Amino acid sequence: MSRAVMTARGTLVLVGVLVSLAGYLWVAEVGRRTPLRASAPVEPAPLLAVPPAAVARVEVEEGTVRLVAIRRGGGWSDAEGRPWPRDAVADLLESLGTIRPVMTVDPDPTDPADYGFGPDAVRIRLLAPDGRPLLALDVGERNPAWTGLYARRTGSREVMLVGALLHWELEKLQAKAPEP
Amino acid sequence: MSGRSLGALTLATTLLLAAPPGRAADPEPSKAAPKGESWTLDSSNWQDGKDVLPESVVKRLQAGDYWFNVVSVDATRFHHNYSQAFWDATDKNAGKYDLDAKTCGLKDKATGKIPDFVFGLPFPTIDKSDAQAGCKIAWNFTMAGAMGGGGGATFTLNGVDTSGQFRRIKAFIHSRGFQGRHFGPLAEDNPEHLAGEGLSGAIEPQDVEGVSQLTKRYWDWESQDAIWAYVPSTRRARRVNAASRSDPVAGLDIFADDLNCYAGKVEYYQWKLIGEQEILAPLLQPYPFPMRSVSPTRQLIDTPYMPAGYEVPNRRGVPWWIQDHLVFVKRPVWVVEGQSSDPYYNFGKVIMYFDKEMYRIYWKLVHNRGGEYFYTAMCGYHFVKNDETFSAVFPNLVVGVNDKTNRAALGGRFQSSFLEQHWDPSYFSLRTITHMTD
Repeated sequence: MSRAVMTARGTLVLVGVLVSLAGYLWVAEVGRRTPLRASAPVEPAPLLAVPPAAVARVEVEEGTVRLVAIRRGGGWSDAEGRPWPRDAVADLLESLGTIRPVMTVDPDPTDPADYGFGPDAVRIRLLAPDGRPLLALDVGERNPAWTGLYARRTGSREVMLVGALLHWELEKLQAKAPEP
Repeated sequence: MSGRSLGALTLATTLLLAAPPGRAADPEPSKAAPKGESWTLDSSNWQDGKDVLPESVVKRLQAGDYWFNVVSVDATRFHHNYSQAFWDATDKNAGKYDLDAKTCGLKDKATGKIPDFVFGLPFPTIDKSDAQAGCKIAWNFTMAGAMGGGGGATFTLNGVDTSGQFRRIKAFIHSRGFQGRHFGPLAEDNPEHLAGEGLSGAIEPQDVEGVSQLTKRYWDWESQDAIWAYVPSTRRARRVNAASRSDPVAGLDIFADDLNCYAGKVEYYQWKLIGEQEILAPLLQPYPFPMRSVSPTRQLIDTPYMPAGYEVPNRRGVPWWIQDHLVFVKRPVWVVEGQSSDPYYNFGKVIMYFDKEMYRIYWKLVHNRGGEYFYTAMCGYHFVKNDETFSAVFPNLVVGVNDKTNRAALGGRFQSSFLEQHWDPSYFSLRTITHMTD
């Protein structure tokens, strides 16, 4: 009958194996594990993705009415050089910089006119000082609850719902347009 | 206690500066409103309302949801719904006050600091081209609402949808104002340097009974309101964030900030004057109600109940629309935008319609922080006056309508309220709210 004898050398070997296994577990498993945390909410980008200060020209067209605001000096004036009242244009730009699409209503509408994208739709164009378009947006009708407006980026068929604050800001802009 | 119940508490805190304490003098009897021209605005003539109502309300008018009993008033007599003492003080305030540029806080030009005591409108004249006009309008609103000084009422909150009422809460609110009151500063000490303080509690139903709240509003430019909520089941009073004014009250479509249509400190918002127009102002009656003394320091005011559609047979309009004892007066208003920079405040841009003379807010439209419009509040009032030495204006109705969910909540509609000139000095305290159900 043989006796099992634990030698110092055997103990060292076992300790070595244990350390190796623990090291493997740390490197291969624990180290790679991403700590548990809530994922950051995915928020769509605002309609105007650049600071309002980057906008040099604003064009708003509704039917035959066309409003133009050009940044000159510290303020805004229309195409004929008549000044816009304080804040009228800035408020619109500030809102466009905070309003984000609430949802995509229809990725590919059969008839965009159902959402108000007919000839009477409001068209907003914002341009950089070098003429580069910063935002081109078609604004259609209000949703049934009037909480939002249908909108789409010009050239895109996707219909978004955006907050009705845009309607308020457009009305303010129209009301404050320089008298001809 | 649920969060909803706690939310109910928040309502009351906002009555600060809203209700008045009077003086001991017996009032003169109320004069009945003159039989002036009156007409009904409804879906058959909705075009007549499109320039004198917010757009979201015109839509309801056109659909037959709402109708309006419009009455004419004598402009001079309406002006005198506020006492001559108030108007005299307003005249004397011309040129006396300015604004702190950073906070929009009220500043005494003579000292460069917050004034010790203000009575009357601090800015008798508003210049439309003034970049700070919106803030000045908000200060006039605050001080007009504070003229009474303090008081209280027991009122209801009713959640109503298209099927009728789905929840009812009965609550009370008591308040004391240190600023803006007739007869000058209170004789009592004001060691906490408060603008006002308020206490509220839920009475019914049983699941919220005893839930109560204490609010202290500091008379400075920087401080947030100190608010404590007490829940009987936990026997704890805990501090509540002042931004909870934008949380729904008890799960209803009404917010603590709806009282008077704005219940925060002026400094909480950035204000911007957008325009001016006429609007239909909701009033219990166009001219003041009388008061009757029940003690040397307390006067009672009896007012008729305003039944809503869900409470009457053969109603007109939606179940939440007021059916009786509410008139609408065409009033000139400032259109003002307000926006909070507090990230915990749920509202985005709020559009408010301030009376250009009486400085009450009659309507407000609320967008969420994403720019979606979702809510309109209609705020109704009544006036109280004895003679030319004292007057007060009470908020008595809020109809909050969530157009996103097509639900509404009614707040106020009390039939009795009081003015209190002298509260027990220890009343507005944590001890009171924690022992209310003992």
